[in-house]
Amino acid sequence: MGIVHAKEKKHGLASPNINYDDCDSVESREINLEGVRARVDRIHINGLARTKDDYVKGVVQDLFDANDFQDVLLKAHTVRNKLNSMGCFQNIGVFIDTSKGPKATPDGLEITFYVRELKRVVGGINTQVGDNEGSLVIGLRAPNMFGRGERIQTEFSYGSKNTNNFNLSFVKPFTGRHNPVFSTSVYQANSEWPSSGYKQVDLGFILDYGINSWPLIRHNFQWDVAVRDLSVLTKGSSFAIREESGSSLKSALRHIFSIDVRDDNIFPSCGSLFKFTTEAAGAGGDVGFVKNDVFLQTNLSLIGDCVLQTSANAGILNSLGNDWKLGLMDMYYLGGPLSLRGFRMRGVGPHSEGDALGSTWFWASGLHLFTPLPFRPGKGGFGELFRTHLFVNAGNIGNFEGDEDFMEKVKTNIRVAYGIGVAMRLGQMARIEINYCFPHSFQETDLSQPGVQFGIGVHFL
Amino acid sequence: MFPSTPLLDKIQYELGAQEPWPKDVKLYQPYEVEQILLPDNANCLAVQAFLRMCNLNFEIVSKANAEFMSPSGKVPFIRCGAFVISELEPIVQFVNTKGISLTSELENDQKCDIRAYMSLVHNVLENAELYLCWCDKETYNEVTKPRNGSVYPWPLNHLQNWTKRSHVIKRLKMMGWYSKTMDQVYHEVENCCQALADRLDGKEFFFGKKYTELDALLYGHIYSILESRNAKLIAILQKNKNLLTHSQLIHRHIMQKHFDDKLLQRLKSDHRKIKTRNIKTKAKEVEKRSHIETNKNIRRNQTIENTLTETEIDSLSDVDSGDLSDY
Repeated sequence: MGIVHAKEKKHGLASPNINYDDCDSVESREINLEGVRARVDRIHINGLARTKDDYVKGVVQDLFDANDFQDVLLKAHTVRNKLNSMGCFQNIGVFIDTSKGPKATPDGLEITFYVRELKRVVGGINTQVGDNEGSLVIGLRAPNMFGRGERIQTEFSYGSKNTNNFNLSFVKPFTGRHNPVFSTSVYQANSEWPSSGYKQVDLGFILDYGINSWPLIRHNFQWDVAVRDLSVLTKGSSFAIREESGSSLKSALRHIFSIDVRDDNIFPSCGSLFKFTTEAAGAGGDVGFVKNDVFLQTNLSLIGDCVLQTSANAGILNSLGNDWKLGLMDMYYLGGPLSLRGFRMRGVGPHSEGDALGSTWFWASGLHLFTPLPFRPGKGGFGELFRTHLFVNAGNIGNFEGDEDFMEKVKTNIRVAYGIGVAMRLGQMARIEINYCFPHSFQETDLSQPGVQFGIGVHFL
Repeated sequence: MFPSTPLLDKIQYELGAQEPWPKDVKLYQPYEVEQILLPDNANCLAVQAFLRMCNLNFEIVSKANAEFMSPSGKVPFIRCGAFVISELEPIVQFVNTKGISLTSELENDQKCDIRAYMSLVHNVLENAELYLCWCDKETYNEVTKPRNGSVYPWPLNHLQNWTKRSHVIKRLKMMGWYSKTMDQVYHEVENCCQALADRLDGKEFFFGKKYTELDALLYGHIYSILESRNAKLIAILQKNKNLLTHSQLIHRHIMQKHFDDKLLQRLKSDHRKIKTRNIKTKAKEVEKRSHIETNKNIRRNQTIENTLTETEIDSLSDVDSGDLSDY
């Protein structure tokens, strides 16, 4: 009975694009569905043009294991999600029918996926205005190039100050249990660091191989080779920065280990994120160091929608010796709205004439209490984009030089700042914060910033 | 962090003028033994000679990235207190603001002459040297490439050579030199040397017995050409013997006088560095370098002496003895 019902409902839809919410409306008959034996006889995929059969075959294979009708529905849904995440199709519809023909079994079903492939080349031109500079950005993307999910992406931006950035990357996903993805990219990037008084131009390429060892544990193995050209930002930059000018070649091997079991990227209410990065530079080139970074974030849901978030971040940088270079861009910096709030960007740690010099170790931690906006305006809609938060940040930074005990140095002169602010979600990736900060303890050489501080970014402490 | 404006620079210079010449002035240049190229060497020697002519103390610091540290992208540059000034002319101006000048006794039209001849040297000798280093295939492959790339790892050295070469070619194109042939370049140098020799005539220095920055600049170029051992250029110089005697004079009485002290200082400072760093390999390297440098300086003197043995040193003999004690 259930089958007939489902079939009739789906027939009524003009487009093959099935709304799965409708399945909920027959929830009262779910028991029937579960009891209904079903077997998938055939799977059709309609609309494949350049996509290779074997690439999609592996994804839909699971459906053949289904035993009852509910299983078929659930599996069809997962398969649809999987197809979607391949990044080859615009929209995907599912159509389930009883199987017909001479080879049909009594409980047999035929499932048809209606897909529409993405165009061969997708592109756009837009302008953007950033730090004292306007630029023209041209982007091109060729999804599913050779029919197995390969894609080439390129972005070129031409700035009014002659700063050309480009990025050309090739991504090749493999089918398999561990979701291996291979990607490589060539890039040139300009960046300016007024707080350190230098600017840099990077020209390099990255090979990346990502793999899941357990469903939620992701490993990334990278080889990063870059020519970094550093120069002073203005005539007024300190001589210590000037001395570091020039080109260096970094060739580094990196391993990123990450577990992300949070329920949301921006405002998670539960779960943790753990990320451990090891980078060893010195496989060729003249830059040599070993760098270990760790980041941990834990969220705890309290009463109502209040969330307590703790985060910790630390890093250690060891030089390979005096024969190897160590650039300003390899060092650690602390301070700013994204890390230690209540201080200026890179405002904590050693400075020379106002320019941050960077250090070889640091740690920073934060304790946040996120709550919805007071009186909850726009509840369930616009208001959900906002959170108020109370925070305390603490951290320390320094160099290995000197005779003092390392642990002693880590424990003394801890910088602390606290404050209150509003955070806003920007899509699924970034967030904006406006905080009022009270730096509590700091050194004379630090550049503290009591009062209002504005921050926008992806990774927050 | 302030945007630098010409006015602000001017004010800073004026303020800086009130302070006397500090003791810790440093002159930054590339490594002489393994890195420096002919045009850079000429400019570095010129600035050294000028500062010594003014009796100003300074310490030479060799840095692989000196070119990138320099505010104008050219070597050498000096660090004097909070100021960083590169190239000969701005350094001369800066020294003038401290009340030290080699040309204070000269007439205005003579000062104009200095400027004219200095730009002649810059436009002809410097461009010729650049052409020789970067556009002459043989020199580029055998000298320029290995030397300029010596401080970089593979494959950055090739990238650096390529970028630098395209910069130099751009400059030479702009000046109309890129289209010349090597012979035309030698011809230009010959004309320039002739003009300078005519101006020098039988005098010790361009303006009588008192040397100026023009003498320093010419010394830098001639001396580094002699060091480069380019047979063709040396042959051109030998046609104008008074230019060689002129350089010899400056070398003996201005540069060499300081040479012994300089080497001693350098060795001392190197040893100090070694102590603080405490690295054996580095120490060996530095020792080797200073050893090479000593040899090189001996060789340097030999070079010029050899060149001069062929020339008649008649004008030199009377200058040599007492006349220079005035300075």
